[in-house]
Amino acid sequence: MDVHSHEEHGDEALAAAFAAHDPWAFGEAYRRNASLLYSVAHNVLSNPEDAKDCVADALARLWRSSRPYSAARGNLRNFLVVCVRNEAISRRRRHVRRTRVEERLAGMALDRDEHATNDPIERDVVRRAIFALPPEQRMPIALAYYSGKTHTEIAAELHEPLGTIKSRIKLGLRKLAASLQSLAERGSEPR
Amino acid sequence: MRREHTGDLAELYALGALSEIERRAVEAHLSECADCAREVALAERDVALIASLETRHDAPPELAARIDGLFRANRPNRMIPAALAAVLILGLLPSVYLWPENRRMHDAMVAQNAAMDRLASGSHRTVGFRSEGAPLGAEVMYPPDGSWYVVVVRNATKALQVAWMHDGERTMLGNAVPRGNVAMLYLPKSHRMDRLALMDGDRVVAEAELPWQRTPPDRPTVRSE
Repeated sequence: MDVHSHEEHGDEALAAAFAAHDPWAFGEAYRRNASLLYSVAHNVLSNPEDAKDCVADALARLWRSSRPYSAARGNLRNFLVVCVRNEAISRRRRHVRRTRVEERLAGMALDRDEHATNDPIERDVVRRAIFALPPEQRMPIALAYYSGKTHTEIAAELHEPLGTIKSRIKLGLRKLAASLQSLAERGSEPR
Repeated sequence: MRREHTGDLAELYALGALSEIERRAVEAHLSECADCAREVALAERDVALIASLETRHDAPPELAARIDGLFRANRPNRMIPAALAAVLILGLLPSVYLWPENRRMHDAMVAQNAAMDRLASGSHRTVGFRSEGAPLGAEVMYPPDGSWYVVVVRNATKALQVAWMHDGERTMLGNAVPRGNVAMLYLPKSHRMDRLALMDGDRVVAEAELPWQRTPPDRPTVRSE
């Protein structure tokens, strides 16, 4: 099967080949979602070089896994977005930890806004939707989505039981996605 | 997690709000449980929708080539023997002359990275070296069990030796070598030591007394300076 014939395959065929660990499917899955996957990493890491490493590492990790994806996981694009985003959040956490240590060693103050979300105007769509959530869901979602904190850290920061935070994140995510769905259907996708 | 279902962790997984250990446990479970995989797929759909509405950046063209290279390794390539020969001639042979220096730099970078990971990942004490009662700008960091030590000297202009002072003797542990204006020595495997000294030749430049009482749980790091 040559590269040109792969482009004729639909998303379902690509997902099946990806699940079967077919080498061409990994490269093709990236090509079809390149801008989205790179953007997801870039929006978390705010650094082009880190974003490139992150996307490559996420795909390499899937390639090394024995069974990273199955049809039950649903849409391959969604699966890849979450994999890349989780990889980006892990890298960001490691970077923040190391920066704290290194800057302490150098006797410098840590700029806690170093990873502040970029381009506030462009990201307003999602921010407005988060702000429209009920107050008890707004903070857990914002902390989970933008700060990369774990649910344990969020519960401690908001002084709420872990179970409460989990259920608020669950409800908040569903509401947020529902409010953004109509916007996405109006033509923001694909960009 | 392999036997337990993901339950209310699906949304947290998709949002990236799990710790590394939790995330890997969920991923291991998802490869075996179709029900949980479907549950997570719903949450992934929501997160992917949100992420797709964020700022878009054009993917750099070189990234596609790099990613293709990741999976090209599986394909037979008749050019490999010739490419290996070229690497030997053009790359490996000249590098023999630079090997000792490259090796030193590599070892120093590996040691520094390992030390950073240790300091970032667990609780540890920080004790300052003192010279004639005054702080020197040098510290030693170590965990409650004394299994490793990191010695850092700021504004270092030359390498200093680090010694363990015990029973009227000194045991040389290694050199804190400057990189930039910070010198560091990482001792990855060690034991409890009560007193360390920074030495310049035979001269003791500064000393640090290392206390060993338990670290209070709400204050994982103690500065004694």
